[in-house]
Amino acid sequence: MLDCGLDTTSVLNFLPLPLFFPSFQELKECAGRVFVDSQPEFCLPERELLDLSTIDVILISNYHCMMALPYITEHTGFTGTVYATEPTLQIGRLLMEELVKFMERVPKAQSATCWKNKEIQRMLPGPLKDAVDVWTWKRSYSMQEVNSALSKVQLVGYSQKVELFGAVQVSPLSSGYSLGSSNWIIQSHHEKVAYVSGSSLLTTHPQPMDQSSLKNSDVLILTGLTQMPTANPDGMLGEFCSNLAMTIRAGGNVLVPCYSSGVIYDLLECLYQFIESANLGTTPFYFISPVANSSLEFSQIFAEWLCHNKQSKVYLPEPPFPHAELIQTNKLKHYPSIHGDFSSEFRQPCVVFTGHPSLRFGDVVHFMELWGKSGLNTIIFTEPDFSYLDALAPYQPLAMKCVYCPIDTRLNFHQVSKLLKEVQPLHVVCPEQYTQPPLTQSHRSDLMLELQPPPMPYRRCSVLNLPFRRRYERVYILPELANSLVPSEIKPGVSMATVSAVLHSKDNKHTLQSVPKPPPVPPSKKRKRVMEEPPVVLAPKPLLSGAVPLEAFLATLQKHGITEVKVEETADGHILHLQADDTLIQLEEDGTHIVCDNNEPLRTTLRDLVLRFLQKL
Amino acid sequence: MLITHTHTHTHVSTMDRECASLLPSVCEVLADSGRSVPDDTSLEKLLDWFTGLTEAGGSLLEACPCLLKFISTVVHNTASDPGVLSFTLRLTGLMAATEDGFKMLQERSVLNQVFNLQHWQEAGLWDDPCLRIGWIQGLRSTLQHPKALSFFVQSDFIDPLLQLQTDTSLFVASAANQMLAHILLFFQKVSSAGSNGVNKKEEDLEPPAITMETSAEYSAVVKGISEYLKESLIPKENTKLHQSLQILKLLALLLAQAGPPLRDKLLQTVTESLEELVTAGCSQLTLPLMDVILAANSSSCPDGRVPGQRVARILSSMLSINNAADLCHAAAALLRRGHHDTVHTARAVRILLLPLDIITGPTLLGTNTTADEHLFSVVEQLKSKTSCISMICVCLTNTPQITLTPPGVLPCPPVLIVTAVVSLLRICSGSSSSSSTGCSEVCRNVIGSGKVQKCALEALTALNSSPGAKEKISEVFTILIQYLDNPDSDPTVLHKSYQALVKWIRVCTDLSLITDQLRQDLVEVVKKRACDMRWEVRDSTVEFLGHLAGVHVSVTLGEEVCDASEALLGGCCTTPLLKEALQDTESYVRASAISALAKTLTHSWQQGAALTEDQTEIVSRLLEILSQDTEGFPRRAVVQYFISWFFSRSSHSPPSSSTSSTSLLMQCVRTVLSQGSADLDWEVKVHTLELAELLLDQAFSAHRGYRKGSDAHCALQHPYGVVSDQAYTLHTHTGTHAEGVQSDLARVVEQGVISALLSGLVDCDRPVALKACRLLITLRETICPLSLGALDATAAMATVSCELLGKGWGQEITKILGMEKSDRALETDISAQRSFSGADGGGDSVTVSEVLRSLSLDERLEVLTQSSDHIHNSPLSLLQDILTASAAHTHPDTKPGQEVIVDCY
Repeated sequence: MLDCGLDTTSVLNFLPLPLFFPSFQELKECAGRVFVDSQPEFCLPERELLDLSTIDVILISNYHCMMALPYITEHTGFTGTVYATEPTLQIGRLLMEELVKFMERVPKAQSATCWKNKEIQRMLPGPLKDAVDVWTWKRSYSMQEVNSALSKVQLVGYSQKVELFGAVQVSPLSSGYSLGSSNWIIQSHHEKVAYVSGSSLLTTHPQPMDQSSLKNSDVLILTGLTQMPTANPDGMLGEFCSNLAMTIRAGGNVLVPCYSSGVIYDLLECLYQFIESANLGTTPFYFISPVANSSLEFSQIFAEWLCHNKQSKVYLPEPPFPHAELIQTNKLKHYPSIHGDFSSEFRQPCVVFTGHPSLRFGDVVHFMELWGKSGLNTIIFTEPDFSYLDALAPYQPLAMKCVYCPIDTRLNFHQVSKLLKEVQPLHVVCPEQYTQPPLTQSHRSDLMLELQPPPMPYRRCSVLNLPFRRRYERVYILPELANSLVPSEIKPGVSMATVSAVLHSKDNKHTLQSVPKPPPVPPSKKRKRVMEEPPVVLAPKPLLSGAVPLEAFLATLQKHGITEVKVEETADGHILHLQADDTLIQLEEDGTHIVCDNNEPLRTTLRDLVLRFLQKL
Repeated sequence: MLITHTHTHTHVSTMDRECASLLPSVCEVLADSGRSVPDDTSLEKLLDWFTGLTEAGGSLLEACPCLLKFISTVVHNTASDPGVLSFTLRLTGLMAATEDGFKMLQERSVLNQVFNLQHWQEAGLWDDPCLRIGWIQGLRSTLQHPKALSFFVQSDFIDPLLQLQTDTSLFVASAANQMLAHILLFFQKVSSAGSNGVNKKEEDLEPPAITMETSAEYSAVVKGISEYLKESLIPKENTKLHQSLQILKLLALLLAQAGPPLRDKLLQTVTESLEELVTAGCSQLTLPLMDVILAANSSSCPDGRVPGQRVARILSSMLSINNAADLCHAAAALLRRGHHDTVHTARAVRILLLPLDIITGPTLLGTNTTADEHLFSVVEQLKSKTSCISMICVCLTNTPQITLTPPGVLPCPPVLIVTAVVSLLRICSGSSSSSSTGCSEVCRNVIGSGKVQKCALEALTALNSSPGAKEKISEVFTILIQYLDNPDSDPTVLHKSYQALVKWIRVCTDLSLITDQLRQDLVEVVKKRACDMRWEVRDSTVEFLGHLAGVHVSVTLGEEVCDASEALLGGCCTTPLLKEALQDTESYVRASAISALAKTLTHSWQQGAALTEDQTEIVSRLLEILSQDTEGFPRRAVVQYFISWFFSRSSHSPPSSSTSSTSLLMQCVRTVLSQGSADLDWEVKVHTLELAELLLDQAFSAHRGYRKGSDAHCALQHPYGVVSDQAYTLHTHTGTHAEGVQSDLARVVEQGVISALLSGLVDCDRPVALKACRLLITLRETICPLSLGALDATAAMATVSCELLGKGWGQEITKILGMEKSDRALETDISAQRSFSGADGGGDSVTVSEVLRSLSLDERLEVLTQSSDHIHNSPLSLLQDILTASAAHTHPDTKPGQEVIVDCY
């Protein structure tokens, strides 16, 4: 299984968590839209098509692509192994922990289910009506489930080769998108499949993308391209900074709903440089998350997973990320939640980074309530996962200024075409969406993949035959067996030998062993058991190779007194009609037949004459 | 460099004598191959000096007989430095430029030796490009009279010269080209004696004496050269393009200046080759070829003679060559030339509009674009990204020119071109698609292309005045605001968008066309850009605010006029943004903000309005910048701010002007004068003196003898300056002259003007001292007039004195005054004695008039007016340098090869 991301957009249909009104209704109307008043639920990966207990291996690309892991590995009979890099595991754990804490902090007694009734759902307005598979939506997992799921993760390092049942080898490569993010190479001895997901060519904090190892793939599965092909991350970062400065100068506060790891490191780094030049030195920056502290600290210790620039800082010694300095100088403060220390130290105007970017749960909900009514304040969306209009819907009417600058550093179409030109896979498999311009911008023919040969698109639940077959298998031969071979050269540099051996296959490894000598028949009267009988070994007939040259053969025939030969050309070769003896010799590319009735001496002669021209092994 | 400190003025004649005495030893140094010259430039300078002497009418041979010996020594010494040899060749040419000189040199067979090609080739020196260029330039200087032409022809120099035209050294090749052009053009009179077709420039020169012999020689030269041109114009193979290129350049040079006989002769010879070259369709030759054809076409008579028609035909075929990119370039070249033939212009216009038409949809050329036979080839070219961008840029650059072509030539109303550029900008930003079908392949090439965006914005800026453009203002505003808002716009694109906005606002007579929504969008985007991460963007934004304030528009048609920033931005956003920008970390932004503030406030200053709290705050912040800012730009801008404030007030203020603001201004002026004149930056100091000048103008303009703006020609237009060009008109004063002057002087002293001027006078920066000196002289002439009738005034003036600080400039002035005093002990008056005693310690008081008289201002002015390197640039210093350097080089301690080698042949 390649990745198991969680579709969290389903939570947009729910009311934000602390906005709890005692009510008997499951549904609530808010600014013209209907929301479900219940603990938010998530849309799980497709589970109908396959039995999760049959999955042997899950490969994880990055920490955003593993949020559904507990749903897959727990309570499903899953017995396989999950492979991921260490930062992916640790930061993934942080994100899951954050999610669980956000949910558990504000428990909801009841769970709304009636609306999921097909009859009722059909009557509902707007996005609720169109939501798919609502019965499969699940509430958040628990910390216990998270721990259990993560215990199944096996850590791997970049370029480390992991043997899977002898059948294939998998190996993660740096993908440049986030700490520990990887693309995967899945290869056998003769075939190579590359799985490219969530990669970035930009110079941000993680180790740069390893492109060269992707070369010579038979198939490249391409996914995780930028969700915002028209939003250039640099431009967005600039937009982020100028809107932030503009708000602070006007005396307003800035709210940045974000994940607690990832782009936030780059944002903080950018702000570190910007706040001096924009005279924002005195404005406090707050980072509020149950895992804020761990996230900031983790980032500093994963030195080997960072870009070269940051790695070298470790030896100075200097913390790789400048947010350490922001913390030291008290410009950036982090708190596990808005309760406790934060409430006493909170100063305005300020900048708050907090989750969850869906605005449905987490501390961000409080800030929406606190600041939403003033036009001086600004909310700046930087995560590309949610439509900001949908995220804001339950808070309407809102006076607060909204700025949407999604920062998605993943590959854009321009970069991916360049990459594919470089890597040159034989075939590319990608989601259908990548093969046509975005729906809303149908004139942007530059925002799609155009390849030769065209990529193989797939859509939800489609079953795809990858365009290659396993034609060859590697077979090992034991030394003593190899010793016994008698090769004969059939053309310069090429020798052949016949082998008689027992093929031994275990864990997808094939070995040729010598044929065991038949043990002396035990003097037993027991009934013979066919199964135990060793195979009867007959002395093999020599194998023939070569071709019969027509002219020379005719000459030989003549020498042996066969002169009346009528040669007829056929599609595959020639037919020689020995008219005197009513005999046919069919000379074809892959066979020679002598049709000769009732004349055994002639047949033998002819056979021997033919054999003269052939080599024997 | 030898530095000679001398305060006395050396006269030209004495210098010549000195130079003449030094020249022989200099020649000796140069002729001695063992010794080296300081650097190549000294030989160039020496030659310049000689050229100057020759042009002044002197004879080098008479003035410096040693040169002759020098030449023959150098020429015979094959070990001579190639640089010196080259110099010698050129010097010889210079000496042979006159017939007398030529004759004398020929008599001593110097010319034959010097320009003997074989000699140089055998000596192995010809390989040095330095020598080849010396040979060409030497000959070129010589070729000023028929005798030289005879020498040239008889020596068979024409072939080697033609060979040099394709020399490996670009400098040599270009010099050879120039030389060939010179021969043909300079002597063309010979063949066309009496013709009036020769251009006037040639007529200024002494006409060469005409003999039958020279005429024949000239014809031979013309024939030789034009045959060569004809033969070599067509490249034999691709590698020979260089030669064709050189020949085309030469032809363009010749055709642009040749008189009819020469021109016709040339055209007759080369037309066929030109035709062949056009058909060959060689991309690299397109532009030079076009130059030649256009030169030929514009010089050929419109009387329908055969060569003229043939040239027109070549031009036509040039405008229908196959390669679309070359075609664009050719058409652009035609338009740039301001060609007036409507058929060709119309064709060029169509060619240039076609790519735009293809990308933005068929509007410009009507529906019959299929008639353009090269449509297919253009579309194919546009599908390739690089050629698409380059072609579109060529087209865009020419659109403003296209709209100026006569209506009959233009295939569409000019306003459609504005629309096309706007649509292109929209396509470039990815926000819209082309309306023409099947062009998505082309469109994707320009999406996000910064180069096309910049070109299109430039074109749009220039299109603001094209006919009918005004009706498009709303559309233009929308796209420009969209560009300003686009997060992906790079700083240059933003800058150009701002420029375009200002330009379009300028032509907009009726701002009511701009909807409230647009205005609001503009406010938002400007606010955002003022906080941009990139200082260049913040700077452009701040500048834009300043420019906007400088534009006056009427809000609705025919109504009252206000500045554009108020009309568009509502007036509430400009000042706060600019105030914020005063704190910017980048000094350029601070400086721009200061000058933008000045522009914004100019109107209220002129009205004499009372100061707002905001303005008072700005003033204190500006004074802070002046005293504390570490960068020069903001400090300069601060002084300029007060200059424009003071100027606006004194030139416009009605009697009702607020007294509080006047008093604050005068208080500031005092601070600026004292701090500005103590600044470390010379430009700040010069600006401070400009402010002092304004104060002087205000005080004394009514008085007799005051020459206002004495220094006006020196007031440089500073980028941050907001002083308008109009002449200063200050309010006049009444009262008796002496009394008036006395009280005015007292006020000026009190304002700190005199201190500023005196400190400027002793400043180590020449422009500062010069400006101060000029102002002090003006002041002296006003308050200490020499006429007898003004004696009473002088007496009254004696009572006005000023303080000299005991340190810095005060001490310096005291020292000068002390020196002057001892020189003129007899004239000492009591007050001066009092003032000059005890120079150190605390401040002293001196009488202004006395100071002005005692500072020997006129002498100072004379010294200061000369450029600061006049001493080092004199020929004497040059000769001394050469001698010193050679002495240094013969010194055992100095290592060879340390001299700076400057390539300047």
